[in-house]
Order: sequence, then structure tokens, then C-alpha cells
Amino acid sequence: MVIVFQSKPSLLAAGVVAGPLEKRSIFSQHFDATYDDERWQMKTNEQGHRKMVEEACEFAMKKAGVKNTDIDYFMGGDLVNQMTPTNFAARDLDIPFIGLFSACATSISSVIVASLLTEIGAANFSLAGASSQHNAVERQFRYPINYGSQKPQTAQWTVTAAGYALIGKHHEEYPSIEAATVGKSVDYGMDDPFHMGAAMAPAAFQTIQSHLEQRNQKIYHYDLILTGDLGQLGLKLLKGMFVESGIKSEELKPLRDAGAEFYGQDETFQSGASGAGCSAAVFFSYVIQQMRAGTYKRVLLVATGALLSPLSFQQGETIPCTAHAIEITMK
Amino acid sequence: MEKEQYQQLEQNVTPKPPYFKNVAKAFLVGGLICTIGQAVSLFYIIFFDFTEATAGNPTVSTIIFFAMILTGFGLYKKIGQFAGAGSAVPVSGFGNAVISAAIEHRSEGLVLGVGGNLFKLAGSVVLFGVVSAFFVALIKYILVTIGVVSW
Amino acid sequence: MKLLGMMLPLLVSLSLLSGCGEKEKFIVYGSPENEKEVEAILKEQKYVDKTTVIQYDNSMLVAVQIKPWDKWKKAKLEKKLQKKFDEKYPNKDVFVSADYKIFYEANKIKRDQVEDNKLKEKINKLKKLAKEET
Repeated sequence: MVIVFQSKPSLLAAGVVAGPLEKRSIFSQHFDATYDDERWQMKTNEQGHRKMVEEACEFAMKKAGVKNTDIDYFMGGDLVNQMTPTNFAARDLDIPFIGLFSACATSISSVIVASLLTEIGAANFSLAGASSQHNAVERQFRYPINYGSQKPQTAQWTVTAAGYALIGKHHEEYPSIEAATVGKSVDYGMDDPFHMGAAMAPAAFQTIQSHLEQRNQKIYHYDLILTGDLGQLGLKLLKGMFVESGIKSEELKPLRDAGAEFYGQDETFQSGASGAGCSAAVFFSYVIQQMRAGTYKRVLLVATGALLSPLSFQQGETIPCTAHAIEITMK
Repeated sequence: MEKEQYQQLEQNVTPKPPYFKNVAKAFLVGGLICTIGQAVSLFYIIFFDFTEATAGNPTVSTIIFFAMILTGFGLYKKIGQFAGAGSAVPVSGFGNAVISAAIEHRSEGLVLGVGGNLFKLAGSVVLFGVVSAFFVALIKYILVTIGVVSW
Repeated sequence: MKLLGMMLPLLVSLSLLSGCGEKEKFIVYGSPENEKEVEAILKEQKYVDKTTVIQYDNSMLVAVQIKPWDKWKKAKLEKKLQKKFDEKYPNKDVFVSADYKIFYEANKIKRDQVEDNKLKEKINKLKKLAKEET
């Protein structure tokens, strides 16, 4: 199940942009830009969402000094129906494009596909990433933005952010992708759309465990194992699962969650952040920068996604979840 | 890990909703909204030609107007997060449901967007309100006809 | 919690405000004939909290306020009282209302010492108001 990349494709550059509320994120200093207008001066939330994707891609291209004509493939996705924001961004970027949907795990599934294209020599450069816009996503999955419903403590806040990475052939100075694990769709019978961390934790557990097993590694081989958006409760559950499987809790130190840390300890956001933009923004800014600075040598990025729709949960279906992982190393 | 085992773990980790605190907050905020409603009602009775029976209509519209302002400024959702049912059950909550849907769907145009989605949330309140009123009236009518109670 | 702290003094002051309204509970304005009798009838009714009665010519306006818990049956009690007065004074035109608006206006008439010629007009207006449906 684990994919080992012989050519070790590198993350050459990345662009992360975020909305106004994300200025409160503890990671905000690592972002390339934050905007005061969550619609990016556009008429609708969805148009703003599109603009955000384009800007993130432009930051990534500008940093690497390449133009859209140099890029062979564009891989990405978001959470809006039919992924129109990313599809429309692809229209303006004018790059061969495959839209991917793994819910919030798209930030990694896109990198896996881009790495495979690089590995087989089909691509010199490709853009991969994901995004989410709070208003556009909330209105679709839950209630109107201004509807005064009481969210439980287990709820998470969809992030407004886009993160895209430029993936190319191996380069020693840049973090490189050594291996990847594509996760199964895991369903442990959770059915509360306001408690996504609990639904996603088993998927993250399975993916991490199978990656470690097949790579013959232990948790301590990693400086950081960062999951996408489990939230504070989801991370607790993930750690709980590891403890039950016989791993001591001291060994779980490298285990962290982007969603749980994203907004710090702010109670306004209940259990933490979520959304494809959450994992993408943290992975492609903070993590890459820390690796280039030499803080981390080996990192496992695990993006988690809840594969539900408003229809499926109204019809009483449980929430299947997935988690994809990439192992990144830095010389 | 088995599903049952995981569900056990999930039960242990997930904090129980603070029911008592929620009820207290809902009671206070709900009561405050109703007090404001009573004040508005008295205002209409004293300064205009409305009786207790007829002051209801202008009071309801005024409270909905307040809810509209608060919703538009994004404050009602904050009250809602604090108060829960306290701000959802009074008529201002109904107004909030209608108005938030209208703001939300403005980007899809006036007819298909606002018009089509205005009662997205409040529609079931209207429907079940009318249906239950019909059945309550029917039951009372039957009871009166049999002679158990009088109007 | 902050909001709670802000609201508490407000609630306390509100409850204090309503506590100090123990004024005259039975008021009659207009001709003082059978004043005692009317008062006796009204005092007999346990559900009546406050009343204001206005008498003029051959008519009587009885504005009552019903005690909180009995307000559930306001319409019924109003009717019952009307019937009682109709039986007692078959020759008089009695109008009973438990509506706050009528009670408020009746008190205003008394306070402003409205003159007889305007009184009739005002009372007729009130009667019309009370019969208005929503």
C-alpha cells in the first residue's frame, strides 16, 4: 500500500493565503498573505474562493521563478459542490488540470498524484494543494452563516485559506517526498457532523499505522507527525487509539494536529480548525519552512478528510473518513 | 481496534454538553428577549391605539426588525452561540432563520436565490406550526361537540 | 459569563421596579351612585386584582386587571363578570373589559378629569377598540 518514490520529488516552493479571521492563527506569520476581505473583493464567496486559489498558486510560482506555461499539471480540490472554485481557478491558470476530492485530505492526495507524475517523468513542475473558504463551505454543509444556532464543543471551524505547493524533480536543498500512503475509506459508525474529529481519528490511525509498519519505522523515527484537522478532541482520540494499541504516551510526543493548534486556545472555535485549507495552509507554510530551516528532518504529513455530504447525513448515513500520508525528509 | 471499543473511547473523551449551564443561559437570554417584547408591547398599548389583543402584531414585527438588524451585523449568531434555545425559540429566532437565509442566498439572485431559499430553515416551522394548530383546533372542536369542555 | 454579569443587575432592578406598585386597587370615577355596591361585587371576585370603574349617564365602564395566574382564563372571566353586571343592573349599559389598554385609558380619564361631554366620545372609542380583532 505504501508508495516509495525512488526519485524523491521535492517541494520546491509553496504559496499560502488566508482570510481575515486566520490572522488570529498561531501560524499566520508563516502565511504569504492574509486578506481583510474574505471575498477578495469579489461579488460572491465562491468567486473569492476561486481568487484565493489563484493567488496561492501565483505565490508558489513566483517564489520558484516559474510561469504557468512552465507547469505541466495542476492538481487540487476544495469542498464546494462540484469543486467550482478550483475548477474555475484552473480555467484562469490555464494549466492541464485534474480536480481531486478527498474532502480535507485533498491537500495530500493532490501531492501524491503530483509526485507520481514527477516520478514517472511526466511532469517537470506541478502544482498541488487544496483550499476551503469558511462561508462557502458552511452554507453548504451546515446552516447559513448568520443563523444563530449553538455549536457544540465538539464542532470545528472551517478555515478560509488556500495552500499550494510546487512539486518538481529532486533537489537537495528542498524537502523531498520519500514515500506516501494512500488511505482507505474508514467508517467507525460516527454520524455527528458536528464531531468530525471523532469520525476522522480512526482513518488517521490506520494510515499512520500502516505507513509505519510497511516502512519498518517507529514513531520516534519522525520529528513530527502532523495530522490535518482532527481538532483537539480528534487528536486526543488518535492518541488514545495509539495508547490502546500498546504504545506508551511518552512516545507520542511527535504527534500533533494542525487543526487543534491552528487558532491556539481560542474557545470561539470550539474543538479547533478544519477544512482542506487548514491542513494545506499549515503543511505548505509552517512545516516546509521549518524543514528548510533544519528544525525537522523527517516529517509525516497526514491529511484527514470526512467524506460526508449534507444529503448523506440527513439520510442517516454514518461518516466514512479517509487519511492520506506523505513522508517528507530534508537532508 | 474494534468499532465498539472505539465508540467506548469516543464516549470517554467527548465532553458532555453542559446541560444545566445551557438551560440557565437559555432561560436568561430567552427571558430577556421576552421582557423586551413585553416592553415593546406596552409601548404600543400606551402610545398607540392598540389593545392587549391587537398589540401582538406590531410587537412581533418590531422584534423581527431587531433580529434583522442584529443578524445583518452578525451579532445574532453570537447571541445564538451563547443562548442556544433562548434566542432560537422566541420569534426573533424565526426572524433570524429567515433573514440569515436571505442574506446567504442574495448572491444567487432575488427570485431563485432569496425567494427560493427564504424559508429554507423556517419553512418547517411554518408547516408544522400550521399543521399542529389545525389538529389542536380539531381536537378541541371534537371535545366541545361531545360536551367535555366549552370554548 | 461576562454577559451574565451584565444582565444580573438589570434583572434585579426590574424586579424591584415591579415590587413598589401597591396603589389604590379600586377606583371609581364619575357619579358616585352605587359605588359601594360595585366595589362589593368586584371585591367578591377573587381573580380581580385592580379595577377602575367609570360611571356616566346611564352607562358604566368596568376596567379590570386580572391576577397573573388567572389570566389564562381572561376571556372567560371577562364574560362572567359582564354577565354578573348585566344581571345586577339590567337597566344600565355596562361594559366590562380586562384589557390593559382599556384599564390604562380609564385611569387616564380619571387622572385628567375628562369632562362629561368628551367622556362619552372617549368611552365609545374605547369600546370600539376593545372589540377590534387582530
